[in-house]
Amino acid sequence: MLACRQVSKSYRTERGLVTAVAGIDLDVPAGRFTAIIGRSGSGKSTLMAMIGGLSRPSAGSVTVDGTDIWGLSDNALAAFRNEKVGYVFQFASLLPTLRLIDNVALPAMLGRGQGASGTYARAAGLLERLGLGAYLDAYPAEISAGEQRRVAIARALINDPSILLADEPTSDLDEQTEIEIMDVLRAVNREVGTTLVLVTHNLALAGQAQQIVHIANGALVA
Amino acid sequence: MRLLASLALQNLGRRRARSFLLIAAVAIGSGVVFTGATLMRSIDDSMAVGFTRLGADMMVAPEGALTNITAALLTVEPTDLVLDADVLAKARLASIARAAPQKIVRVEHSGIGSHHELVDLIGIDPARDFTIQPWLREKLNRELRAGDVILGVGRDAPLGSQLLIFGKSHVVYGKLGRTGVGTHERGIFMSFATLDALAASMPQRPAVLAPGKVSGFLVELAPGATALQARFAILSAVRGVKVVTGESSLSGIRQGLAALLKGILALMMLMFASMAVMVSVLFSAIVTERRGELGMLKAIGARRSQIVGMMVVEAVIATGVGGVLGVTLGILVMRFYERSLVYYLENIGVPFVWLDLPRTVAFAAAAIGLAAAIGALGAFYPAWRASRRDAYDLVRGEG
Ligand SMILES: Nc1ncnc2c1ncn2[C@@H]1O[C@H](COP(=O)(O)OP(=O)(O)O)[C@@H](O)[C@H]1O
Ligand SMILES: [Mg+2]
Repeated sequence: MLACRQVSKSYRTERGLVTAVAGIDLDVPAGRFTAIIGRSGSGKSTLMAMIGGLSRPSAGSVTVDGTDIWGLSDNALAAFRNEKVGYVFQFASLLPTLRLIDNVALPAMLGRGQGASGTYARAAGLLERLGLGAYLDAYPAEISAGEQRRVAIARALINDPSILLADEPTSDLDEQTEIEIMDVLRAVNREVGTTLVLVTHNLALAGQAQQIVHIANGALVA
Repeated sequence: MRLLASLALQNLGRRRARSFLLIAAVAIGSGVVFTGATLMRSIDDSMAVGFTRLGADMMVAPEGALTNITAALLTVEPTDLVLDADVLAKARLASIARAAPQKIVRVEHSGIGSHHELVDLIGIDPARDFTIQPWLREKLNRELRAGDVILGVGRDAPLGSQLLIFGKSHVVYGKLGRTGVGTHERGIFMSFATLDALAASMPQRPAVLAPGKVSGFLVELAPGATALQARFAILSAVRGVKVVTGESSLSGIRQGLAALLKGILALMMLMFASMAVMVSVLFSAIVTERRGELGMLKAIGARRSQIVGMMVVEAVIATGVGGVLGVTLGILVMRFYERSLVYYLENIGVPFVWLDLPRTVAFAAAAIGLAAAIGALGAFYPAWRASRRDAYDLVRGEG
């Protein structure tokens, strides 16, 4: 269960205070597929970052499974990001100096008390399921953008998160690749029961969600 | 964590030229500091020349004897003037803890060294000596006995081998370490009995080889006694002697050098300070350049300590390698210039002795440790500041 209460974010800029998100209330029950839509600059990414523990709200609260995440200590918040959330960015986000298998294993290796051999077996299994079994030892620069995004999804899944946050994961990819990636995300949602929050401007995609959240100028549109 | 450590290493490898420059700069800095400190201590130690280094506080010699204290020879010059072997014992001076008598004979045509070489034969009383035997670097596994000789470091003969002095056979019992004290380096040491036994073979019998006579004493002060007190006590109790203290010897040169060395020390401090500033400026830039990656790490759950640790490890590897290289370079440079340096110093009257190994190793470790510490400190602050930022800001390239 994910709940935002009057969550807001303002940035201090040279042009004065810019309010990216202005008091959003949002509830997403566990296991649901929720789509967030809205024009560019409406505050979707900022909201996602606040939900994922990546950006501290200026006001309001984000509660995940009963825990007010922005009330947590630095280390507890790091553990939250590490264990509870899988985050798929809008852009390439793999570490270029690590092999694909290392990139996928990294979140598990950062966390506490997981054996390396088990972790690497899991990472290899995930990459295989996503059709990248032949590239375990390759580096990010050696594969295509769509394949890189799939590796990022594998990385997001390595710690069995309860929430998968995907911020326009397919915006820079061709249509066929977009469909493949969306299939992967929806399969995870359906088969494992992982809560999926997806930002997209593809209305057809959004139409498949169980819940659609429309944002304009940092606020919900009824 | 292995992955973070390998990330740190790979980051260094990603910017070869920059890493190389950083390592080179740190190598130069720590090399200069290590070399400077080692030379400085070596020179300073070497300046504390003479019998003070041998463990004595002063020397008592016949009044008329030439005591050459300007050059490396910091012992009594062999003369015909002698003292009674029991003068100090009879005087019963409270300020003297120990006094080691010595008989020094300078001979020619002894069969040692080149034909005309002047060789100092030095008689000691093994039971009372405290300035020669502590310097034994190697010796036979038995007591010193009649017919045995001990060689200064400047003379080479295998342990246990035969040595002919005035045609008489002697056994090389031991060899001294390097002390920098002239007579020690070239001298041949033996018990009084061994030296006396040689008298008959000499062209004329030196006065000091008469029984009950010595050339002088090396004196150790009683605890709490000052050199001034002892000197006064000796001069008022014993007639016909002079007292030489070690400190006075090269104090003028020493003071000048001490000032110079302080200057060098200040320069070294500045060098380290500028190295620290350089490393922290560089790592501020590196952290800024890599904030997207740091943000990504933070986003997938890296703790602040892991992010800071990764950057610090990266810096410590670079500056630590620089430190090791610098020390290695410093050792090579010192080896290379050793000959001319030693020659120069000995020309101005300073017998040069390298710093002992344990302290050299300690200096090397300190130089490398300081270099690594500078890396750690230089990287810590920018990394710590970046790690405080929101992951999202870092990923977006802010912060
Ligand atoms: N770090 C920032 N500093 C200043 N303004 C920002 C910052 N991040 C986002 N914004 C502004 O907040 C608004 C919302 O941005 P964002 O959440 O990225 O929108 P979306 O993802 O819907 O395109 C935009 O006007 C954007 O310019
Ligand atoms: Mg966005």
